[in-house]
Amino acid sequence: MGEKKWAEVRPREDYFRILNPDGSVEGTVPEVSRQELLRWYEVLVETRTFEAMVLRLQRRGVLSVAASSRGEEASGLGAAAALQVGDWLFPAYRQLSAVLYWNAPVDRIMAGLMGNTPEHIREHLPLPPEVPPGVNILPYPVFLGAYVPLAVGCALADKLNGRKHVSLAFVGEGSTSEGDFHDGLNFAGVLESPCVIIVQNNQWSISVPASRQTAAATFAQKAVAYGLPHERVDGNDIFAVYDTVKKAVDRARAGGGATVIETVTYRILDHNSADASAAYRTEDEAEYWKTLDPVERFEKYLFNQGILDQATKTAMEERAEKRLREEIERGRAVPPTPADNMFLHHLQGEAGWSTQHQRDELACELAGGNPFLDMTGEGMQ
Amino acid sequence: MTRINELPVTEEMNLVTAVTHTLRQEMQRDPSVRVMGYDIGPIGGVFRATEGLFDEFGPDRVIDTPLSENGLLGVAVGMAIRGERPVIEMQFLGFMYNAWGQFIYNLANLHQKTGGAMKVPVTIRATFGGGIKPLPFHSESTEAYLMHTPGVRVVCPSTPAQTKGLLAAAIRSDDPVIFLEHTKMYRAFREPVPVADYTLPLDKCRVVQEGSDLTLIAWGNMLHYAIAAAADVAAKGNASIEIIDMCSLAPLDVAPVLASVKKTGRCVIVHEARRTAGPGAEISALINEYALEYLKAPVKRVTAFDVFFPENQIEDAYLPSSQRIKAGIDAVLSYQF
Ligand SMILES: Cc1ncc(C[n+]2csc(CCOP(=O)(O)OP(=O)(O)O)c2C)c(N)n1
Repeated sequence: MGEKKWAEVRPREDYFRILNPDGSVEGTVPEVSRQELLRWYEVLVETRTFEAMVLRLQRRGVLSVAASSRGEEASGLGAAAALQVGDWLFPAYRQLSAVLYWNAPVDRIMAGLMGNTPEHIREHLPLPPEVPPGVNILPYPVFLGAYVPLAVGCALADKLNGRKHVSLAFVGEGSTSEGDFHDGLNFAGVLESPCVIIVQNNQWSISVPASRQTAAATFAQKAVAYGLPHERVDGNDIFAVYDTVKKAVDRARAGGGATVIETVTYRILDHNSADASAAYRTEDEAEYWKTLDPVERFEKYLFNQGILDQATKTAMEERAEKRLREEIERGRAVPPTPADNMFLHHLQGEAGWSTQHQRDELACELAGGNPFLDMTGEGMQ
Repeated sequence: MTRINELPVTEEMNLVTAVTHTLRQEMQRDPSVRVMGYDIGPIGGVFRATEGLFDEFGPDRVIDTPLSENGLLGVAVGMAIRGERPVIEMQFLGFMYNAWGQFIYNLANLHQKTGGAMKVPVTIRATFGGGIKPLPFHSESTEAYLMHTPGVRVVCPSTPAQTKGLLAAAIRSDDPVIFLEHTKMYRAFREPVPVADYTLPLDKCRVVQEGSDLTLIAWGNMLHYAIAAAADVAAKGNASIEIIDMCSLAPLDVAPVLASVKKTGRCVIVHEARRTAGPGAEISALINEYALEYLKAPVKRVTAFDVFFPENQIEDAYLPSSQRIKAGIDAVLSYQF
């Protein structure tokens, strides 16, 4: 391990904030029902609990890699809560709170983390007959930034057909360096696509600090060059995120075009379970950011307002723990994906000769035969 | 060319430490060598291939860049035409798709487009290959896309000592070179690597083992599976297998392959890449065009399948195993006209 680390550069704090780290508020709190606030809190609890469980399973070797959104949960949740049924969500991979808010099935997420194919998961974990309508969610991307133009196009399709849906995409601040981010913003501006692009700035792109990702003062201001409105908010303040995204979503829905929003937050844990952040950043950084924790902050607010009390909190935590444990067990109980699944869903209709032949080869191999004995192209015996 | 076994002082290295050692040596040797990429600074790369170099050479020689493969490649070409010798790290070959524009328009084409006036001495170190069960697009074996592109060299080492000689040669070459490092092999085994500097030819394959009944061609991690399969076959019968490490993928070192097949009359090609229009298709076509009358059996390709690299649970069934390679060898050996 090297000696040198990147010097800490704290982001500017001249962003929009409503909920202070001590739970007090400044300005106007968005209008949200008590019931909805409790739902938000529950999703935050579930997100933390599930991610902690997954990390433990990773350490036990049950799955190969796990990433966490600890400390960033308000960014995903505040944005997701601003969407409506029928909207489209293009997550990055640190928005578990967003997908849980929209009732993503945890058992299926778990089975996916275990390396099963989607068709196998669907077969073994059918959805209950009554699924409440929600938003449409794309699978987690691995290729960074590549969903930005998709969200722009997805929203454009709605606009061109007179449908009042909005598409919302997340990218990390590191991913704003990819060409796709810029392509997407440029098209969104020119074609007036009804979308919202959120840059979830958690200060680190694996080992590269935000200060080396761009020489611009903020990530939000990248929107200026594309003629798009932009906002920069305290990403650990669920009210600031919700309020800002809600306005952008409403504007897009009303025909006002795209908005870029930077949510300023921090990646508390390693990039993922294969990373060791002590190699490139100092411990005190995280210590500072823990004082800005989005969940504790919201919890203090709820307690101050008398919306949450200790008994409700404990009951919620217990319920989350129990539900998630059951869902994880269901996900883990899915039988191993059959190898033949790899051949599914490449093209519609009949598979071509090569695909069919290779399917037969694999079947032959798995049955203990020699798949290379076809010398005429007429197939395996 | 120095013979490696004439260099007496050695150190035990695995493939990744051989990369680090060679980068350090080449950086000490030539101040125009600069290592570039994202996450290559203080952390030393996600596989630690550049570990310690940032401390030793500083941020102007080890340039930690923003996160853009296309930007990285294009900037490296710009530096290369001004006398620098960038060695860029493509964190995973599966992310190089983003850099296809710079790869084709500039890296590969500029030398020809300027009638040879401009040289583009860029080395792209790209991790590739499957077997470590990571996330999607971290296991790509898409060397055929690279080989299909004129104007670039493609090499793929399979041992630490070979890694050093080929990487040094790649960095010193005035051509763009894509240097494929198999992630599964990074820490798989160690061997003594000479400490003194040396290079190996970029356009020569390596005969690993001589034999008379069948030519077995592989590279990268698959070479080790091929060696194991061949040993198994040899232990059971009396077939004598010649093994060729096709470390020079572009330009493909054809002559030794044809010479070998003319001797053995049989050939099995092994690769992790998808089969259709994969590297094996080209090798097989060359054999059919230029050694047909020597063949005693059809040439067989033992490969992965024509699908995207599949989910963790089924990747073992996708990748060729020693068992699958052995089946290919058996089928070819047992063939009767
Ligand atoms: C196109 C592409 N290049 C590189 C990678 C490897 N990689 C995965 S995550 C990551 C850092 C991303 O940083 P950021 O966008 O800030 O998101 P964060 O992980 O911080 O949430 C990198 C380099 C990738 N997945 N895709």
